[in-house]
Amino acid sequence: MKGKLKFILPLVVIVSLISWLVFAGVKDSMVYYITVDELLEDVPDIYGQKVRVSGTVVHGSIKNELDDSLRFTIADGKGEIDVEYDGIIPDIFTDGVEAVVEGKFSAGNVFEADLLLAKCPTKYESEEVPYQRKEG
Amino acid sequence: MSDLGSIAILLSFFITIYSLFACAVAARTGSRAFAQSGGNGIVSLAFLLLVAVCCLVYELVTLDFSLRYVALNTSTDLPVIYRVTALWAGQAGSLLLWSFILSLYMAFVVLRNRKKGGDPYVNIVLCAVSLFFLFLIAYVEDPFEKLGVAVGEGRGLNPILQNGYMAIHPVTLYVGYVGITVPFAFGIAALLSGRLGDEWIRNCRKYALFSWMFLSAGLLLGARWAYLELGWGGYWAWDPVENAAFMPWLAGTAFLHSVMIQERKAMLKKWNMILLIITFFLSIFGTFITRSGIVSSVHSFARSDIGPLFLGFMVLILLFSFALLIYRSKELESEERFDSVLSRESAFLFNNLLFLAAAFSVFLGTIFPVLSEAFTGKKILVGPPYFNAVGVPIGLVLILLMGIGPLISWKKASTANLKRNFVFPGVVFAAVLLALLVFGLREPVALLSFALCGFVAATVFLEYFRGIRVRSSRGENPVSAFFNLVSRNRRRYGGYIVHLGVVLLVIGITASSLFVTQKEVVLGKGDSFSLGRYDLVFRGVNYISNDAKDGFSAELSIENNGRSVATMYPEKNIYKYEGNREINQETEVALRSTFRDDLYLILSEVGGGGKVNIRALLNPMVNWIWAGGFVIVLGAIVTMWPEGRRKKESSA
Repeated sequence: MKGKLKFILPLVVIVSLISWLVFAGVKDSMVYYITVDELLEDVPDIYGQKVRVSGTVVHGSIKNELDDSLRFTIADGKGEIDVEYDGIIPDIFTDGVEAVVEGKFSAGNVFEADLLLAKCPTKYESEEVPYQRKEG
Repeated sequence: MSDLGSIAILLSFFITIYSLFACAVAARTGSRAFAQSGGNGIVSLAFLLLVAVCCLVYELVTLDFSLRYVALNTSTDLPVIYRVTALWAGQAGSLLLWSFILSLYMAFVVLRNRKKGGDPYVNIVLCAVSLFFLFLIAYVEDPFEKLGVAVGEGRGLNPILQNGYMAIHPVTLYVGYVGITVPFAFGIAALLSGRLGDEWIRNCRKYALFSWMFLSAGLLLGARWAYLELGWGGYWAWDPVENAAFMPWLAGTAFLHSVMIQERKAMLKKWNMILLIITFFLSIFGTFITRSGIVSSVHSFARSDIGPLFLGFMVLILLFSFALLIYRSKELESEERFDSVLSRESAFLFNNLLFLAAAFSVFLGTIFPVLSEAFTGKKILVGPPYFNAVGVPIGLVLILLMGIGPLISWKKASTANLKRNFVFPGVVFAAVLLALLVFGLREPVALLSFALCGFVAATVFLEYFRGIRVRSSRGENPVSAFFNLVSRNRRRYGGYIVHLGVVLLVIGITASSLFVTQKEVVLGKGDSFSLGRYDLVFRGVNYISNDAKDGFSAELSIENNGRSVATMYPEKNIYKYEGNREINQETEVALRSTFRDDLYLILSEVGGGGKVNIRALLNPMVNWIWAGGFVIVLGAIVTMWPEGRRKKESSA
C-alpha cells in the first residue's frame, strides 16, 4: 500500500495544481459575449467591464483617418453603439459585415475595443442563395 | 464526369457495408475466404474514391458551374492550382478528401497483410469509421450535387486561401488527422478479439508516429500560413480551429510516449487504450469543430447542418470504446508495478498526465462558450490569456521532463545514476541562466524556458556523445560511429532528434511571444523611423494594377547601422472580381526573415497626399520555430525508417 501512496500523493498534487491553474485562468480571462441590445440594457453597470459584443456594421458609419483610431457603429435589433478601435483591421471588415469587438464600454457611451474580428456572412454554405448570378 | 463521381461514391458506400459484414463473418467464423473478400472490398474502395476525387478535381478545373460545389468554390479568374485546392476549400470536398485519405490508409493496411486480406477485426473498425464519412458524402453533403440552373460564374475562392501554404497545409493536417484512425482500429481490434498482447502496439506504432508527424507538420504549416496571410503579426491565436488540431496532437504525443512503457514493462495497458480512444475522439472532434461552426472562429469558412450527425458519431465512439474497454479490463492488468517516483517509468507517467491535462485544458477553453451557455444561459469566452496561463506552466514542466526522461534509469534511480547523468545538463542549465542574466534578460518565463532548453539540449548531446564514444573506443571513426549509432537504434536516437527540434521550436516560441517590438506610424514620402536595429525610410506609394487586382504598395528602404539591407513592399490590394463581394480586400504583409528576427510590415491604410499608415513589428527568432519543425519531421523520419534496409545494403 505504501508503494501506491508514493504515487498517489504527487498525482494528487499535480492534478490539484492543474485544476487551480485552469480555474484561475478561467476566472482571470473570462469575457461575457453579449449582443448590442444586452449591452445597452446593462448600462450603467456595464461601464468599464470587459465584454465581447457582436453586431452588424452600420452602412456608411466607418471612419478611418490615417492618424486616428478607426471609428464605426455596430447595430443589432433596436440598439446601436459607437466603437473606437486601434489595431489591425481584418481584410473582410467593411459595411454590413458582422463585427465582433472586445473591450470596454466607457461612460462616454463609446465602446473602446482592443480586438476586432469580422465574420463574412456569405461564405456560410447553408445559406439559401449562396452566390450572385452574373449576366453574360 | 459528375455522374461517374456520384456512382463511385455510392458504390464505395455499399462496398464498405459489404466489407464490414464480410470481415465480421470472417472474425466470427475464422473464414479466410470472407476475410480476403472483405480485404478486396477495401482495396476497391480506395480505387473508387480515387475515381471520385479525380472527377471532382476535373469538374473544378474545367469550371462546371452546374455543380453546386464548383460554383461555390471557384471562379473563372482562379488559377488552375487553386481550382485544384478548392477540393478542400469547402465542406463536401473536405469530407470526400477525408474518406479518400482514410481509404488509402485502409488499402495500405490490407495490402501489408495481403495473404490474409488484413486482420478482419482491424478492418471492421476501419470500415465502420469510413462508413460514417461515406454516408455523409453520399447522402448529406454530396460533392456532386447539381444546381437547378447552371450559373454563369462561380463565387470564387477566398483570397486569403489563395496562398501556397493553403495548398499543402490542409492536406498535411488531414493525413495526420485521418491517420489516427489506424492505431485506433488496431487498439479496438485488440479489445474485440481479445488478443491483448503487445502485437497490436507493435503493429500500430508506426502508423501513430506517421500521423503524428503529419499532424505536427500540418500545425506548423497552418501557423506559417496564418503568419504570412492573416497579417496580424502572429502565428498562433488559440483559435478554436487551431486548437482542434492541437488537441489530438497533445493526446497523440502522450500515447507515443506511453506505448514505450507498455512495450518494455507491460504496464499502463488500460491507460494506453484510453489515450488512444481519446486521441481518436479528439481527431473526430477537431473535424467536427472545423466543419460544424459550433464554436465561432475566424477560420470557420463553412457552416452547415452535419453537426448533429458528428455529435452522434462521437457519442457512439466514446460509448462503444469505453464499454469494450470495461468489458476487457480484467485482461488488461499490468504485469509489473511502479517501484519509485524517481524512475523513468514515473517520468513517462508524469509526461502523460501533463500532456493529457494540456489537452483537457485546451478542450475546456475551446468549448467554454458552449458549456457556459448550456449551464448559465450566458455565453462566456476564455481567450488567449487563459490558454497561456494554463499552457505555459504545463509546457515548462514538460520540457523539464523531456530532459529528465531519457537519462533517468528504469525502475529506481540511484544517487549515482542521478549524479552521473544530470551534473552536465544541470551545469548547462545554470550556465544559460547566468549568461542570460548577465546579458540583462529579466523576464522569468523566458529565463526558465531558455535555461530548460539548454538543459534538454545538453541531455541529447550527452546521449549522443556517450554512444559515439563507446563506438569510437572500438575503433570506429567518430563520423561513422555517429551514423551507425543512429541507424542501429533509430527509435531512440530519432526520438532525441525530435526532442532537439522541440527545443528549437520552444526557443522560437518563447522569444517571439515575449519580446515583440511594434510601432504604428503615419509616414509621408521621405519620412523615416527606427525599429530595433533597423531604420526604415518611406520612399512612396506605388500603384499596382493587373487583371485580377488593383492595389497599392508602399516602398520602404531598410537600413541596418546605416547600411542598406533591403527594400520592402507591403501591399494593400482590391480584387476586381466581384463574386467574392465581401472579401475583395487583401492586405499583403512584407517580411524580411533572419534567424535573429523577422521584420514584419503591414500597410494599414493609404491616405490622401501619398501618406500611409504602417504598422511594423520586429518578431525575434520566429525562424527557429520553422527550423524546429524541420528537425522534428527529420527526427520522426529517422525513427520510422524501416529496419533491415541497412542490413540488405551491407550484404549487397
